[in-house]
Amino acid sequence: MASRRRMLLKVIILGDSGVGKTSLMNQYVNRKFSNQYKATIGADFLTKEVQFEDRLFTLQIWDTAGQERFQSLGVAFYRGADCCVLVHDVNVMKSFDSLNNWREEFLIQASPADPENFPFVVLGNKVDVDGGNSRVVSEKKAKAWCASKGNIPYFETSAKEGLNVEAAFECIARNALKNEPEEEIYLPDTIDVANARQQKSSGCEC
Amino acid sequence: MLLSDAMEDEEKWLAEGIAGIQHNAFYMHRALDANNLREALKYSAQLLSELRTSRLSPHKYYELYMRAFDELRKLEMFFKEEERHGCSVMDLYELVQHAGNILPRLYLLCTVGSVYIKSKEAPAKDVLKDLVEMCRAVQHPIRGLFLRSYLAQISRDKLPDIGSDYEGDGDTVMDAVEFVLQNFSEMNKLWVRMELQCLYYIHFGDPELRPSFGLSGLQGPARVRDKMEKERNELRDLVGKNLHVLSQIEGIDLDLYKETVLPRVLEQVVNCKDELAQYYLMDCLIQVFPDEYHLQTLETLLGACPQLQPTVDIKTVLSQLMERLSSYAASSPEVLPEFLQVEAFAKLSNAIGKVIETQGDMPIVGSITLYVSLLTFTLRVHPDRLDYVDQVLGLCVKKLANKPKLEDSRATKQVVALLSAPLEKYSDIVTSLTLSNYPRVMDHLDNGTNKIMAMVIIQSIMMNHAYVSSADKVEVLFELIKGLIKDLEGDSDDEFDEEDFNEEQNSVSRVIHVLYNDDPEEMLKIICTVRKHIMAGGPRRLPFTIPPLVFSALKLIRRLQNQDGDAAGEDNPATPRKIFQLLNQMIKCSSLGLEGWAETIEALSYVPSPELALRLYLQCAEAANDCDLEPVAYEFFTQAFVLYEEEIADSKAQVTAIHLIIGTLQRTNVFGVENRDTLTHKATGYSAKLLKKPDQCRAVYACSHLFWVDDQDGIKDGERVLLCLKRALRIANAAQQMASVARGSSGPVTLFVEILNKYLYYFEKGNPQITSAAIQGLIELIKTEMQSDTVTPDQTSDAFFACTLRYIQFQKQKGGAMGEKFDTIKV
Repeated sequence: MASRRRMLLKVIILGDSGVGKTSLMNQYVNRKFSNQYKATIGADFLTKEVQFEDRLFTLQIWDTAGQERFQSLGVAFYRGADCCVLVHDVNVMKSFDSLNNWREEFLIQASPADPENFPFVVLGNKVDVDGGNSRVVSEKKAKAWCASKGNIPYFETSAKEGLNVEAAFECIARNALKNEPEEEIYLPDTIDVANARQQKSSGCEC
Repeated sequence: MLLSDAMEDEEKWLAEGIAGIQHNAFYMHRALDANNLREALKYSAQLLSELRTSRLSPHKYYELYMRAFDELRKLEMFFKEEERHGCSVMDLYELVQHAGNILPRLYLLCTVGSVYIKSKEAPAKDVLKDLVEMCRAVQHPIRGLFLRSYLAQISRDKLPDIGSDYEGDGDTVMDAVEFVLQNFSEMNKLWVRMELQCLYYIHFGDPELRPSFGLSGLQGPARVRDKMEKERNELRDLVGKNLHVLSQIEGIDLDLYKETVLPRVLEQVVNCKDELAQYYLMDCLIQVFPDEYHLQTLETLLGACPQLQPTVDIKTVLSQLMERLSSYAASSPEVLPEFLQVEAFAKLSNAIGKVIETQGDMPIVGSITLYVSLLTFTLRVHPDRLDYVDQVLGLCVKKLANKPKLEDSRATKQVVALLSAPLEKYSDIVTSLTLSNYPRVMDHLDNGTNKIMAMVIIQSIMMNHAYVSSADKVEVLFELIKGLIKDLEGDSDDEFDEEDFNEEQNSVSRVIHVLYNDDPEEMLKIICTVRKHIMAGGPRRLPFTIPPLVFSALKLIRRLQNQDGDAAGEDNPATPRKIFQLLNQMIKCSSLGLEGWAETIEALSYVPSPELALRLYLQCAEAANDCDLEPVAYEFFTQAFVLYEEEIADSKAQVTAIHLIIGTLQRTNVFGVENRDTLTHKATGYSAKLLKKPDQCRAVYACSHLFWVDDQDGIKDGERVLLCLKRALRIANAAQQMASVARGSSGPVTLFVEILNKYLYYFEKGNPQITSAAIQGLIELIKTEMQSDTVTPDQTSDAFFACTLRYIQFQKQKGGAMGEKFDTIKV
């Protein structure tokens, strides 16, 4: 029974508006990139089949709205995540500074059983911009932060050029797989409760 | 029912729902593991029945939905396998329709549909069309919205998009667009209908129409409405998500967007006539589609704005659009031609005009905020188009016209933002000065804000180290900062804050220093312009503003003096002589605070600053001296003396003043004998008339320098030097006698030593009237004085005297001519 559950790996991508969350997902899943900025509304996911050790997994990658005003329903979709990807734009310091908030917010909302060891992966995106000249978040700084949060793996990526995207997601998938799922063990108390629970909704039969 | 109880109940219902899902999921998993399709379908339908609840608010419903959603993924995987195991997906598609309730049936149908499309056994467009039509069966807003958002999500990667797996076989990107647009329209209708339902619920109390739980029938209609609005607002992203999906469809190129997508979306937005939906969807539309599309469809997009409900917050929508477009323009210089080509500025400006016109009751702050956005846009996109900037300011003036000064503080803040934007953009303040509407906007500010704005302007000038280099520009500048230059109508004395006032006036003084042109003629014009303005400043301001202007004029004079003086001829207005005339008048003003407005001034507190004026006169006299203008220099000295006599009454101020006069006069060499005599006579006369004896003594011995100028052509009248020194001695004597009457004063000995030093100075300089015998006598006198009982010992004067003697000793030992000279003095 658990095996079926383990075939699906749920990954959440978080980060400030405009850091390239959608682009990273599109690059990884569809190998497509567009320079145009398009905001994401609500939560959206794409799936990708990946193979590890002769087993096939479905990676369910959730892309989220960086702008708070497009997240009106809250973050119930965090539940059951196996890995959380934190993305920042290496050319925007604020987006790096926000990583802490995103991480903490995720841990509060998703409330995994073992927050200390919940797998995160950090991506410093847009390393291609201006030949790296407009870069403000150094690799050293990003790595230091990652180290301070329990050795989070760090990748420097360019969704535009596809740089490191594959490698990053492979790491994401492996870490997701390592995450011990929290099976909500459910034991039915009586056998025929199912029928007793029918007349809940009021009104018509739709 | 209390709100907290209601919330508790909601938690309880959610927990029950989750339990229901978990329970059925347990059996569903078992069925899946056992490969029992029928059981799996049965339990999954029961599991999905939990979503039929009407008791949860959108947030809680979403939590429940996500639980079901996750379970459906497992079912979906099973379906895929099932397909591989033999049961065709078409059969599955039929089979799931046996589910008893419509909502579970449709969720299952969508899930199978997703597998169906993936199997490619039927054209994607047919399956999608079927699903989007079937979903019509659910008309309960929350249930319907979530069901359709499920459809949107599972179909997300199965649209017959260009380049996707499902393209071809007659399936085109148009089918994808049609599908999403239809789902979007249906969702928007459900969403808008909530509003109506709410009204029905309020009026007819139909429990099935109850917005969601957490409300009881006992709550008032207003309360119900508020909660309803909040819940509707929470649901907005489900509707907006469709636009996100549209924007992600690869095949939507500009043409398709322009011809189909945008008009269809706007049609839906305009026709729904719902304030919340219109505002939100416009925002989404702008955010999810790329900038170049907006730019190329500006007319259509902006054309929709005036058609929206009058209560829609269009200003925020438009501001966000302009914000995005200006960031786009900033992203690369290559995109700028696009902006010009589509005349973005004109279109935006037009649209804003229309919106302001249509939304008649938009508060003034709204209109001005729109103008600020437009201005920011043009400054970022077309920094070279000053006419655009002026146009925006002009529109603002028009909006503010016929209105009294602004009192709304938020509106004022926006006007300040409007006026500050060009200053920040153009480091050269002069650019802003050419904007004809700038001062007209400023006129609408209240006096306090006007001053703040004037300070901002000055700070901007100072920060950029910019020079204002023509009289015309100076004229404009002073018009802009007039709030600091003179009292404005309605300025009241009650609010006078000295500290603020001083800071403001210091700023004005600073700005006067950066008004500069290399051409003397223009510079003089500048000075005249400034003079005209600051003269209206009243006695409180003049002490601040006159000195910098005087120095600016003197600088000009010095500049001319280094050229050929008056050689340029009489036609040239910028001659030192003429400038001096100006200066003379100006300083008169600062000393008396009058000229022209003596009458108005009497009412105000009268702050004359004769001491300042005297210093300025002396500065001018010195400059005139350097320019070789004897009568002018004489005039300035005369003015200084007049001031001394008539205005400077304080004894300490007199001492300072007389020393300043003596010092300046000493350096002046332009005078002929007669003028010089008159002035030195006066100086010595006033010195001897100072209030305190020591002051008299010191001033008088200082006067000795007036007769002995130690350079080549300097006057060397040894006799009169001696007269001064002797007079100083007499005064010192008198002072000592007065002191011994009063007892305890040690001053006089110091005075004697000081005079001795003067003797030594002239002795060294070769004044024949100063003899070694006289010096000898003075030394003896001091020694006697020091030994007398009446003098209280004083360390300072003792040390001073000892040093003086040591100096004599030193000179004696030096040998040579000087040594011989000093040899006759016995210490």
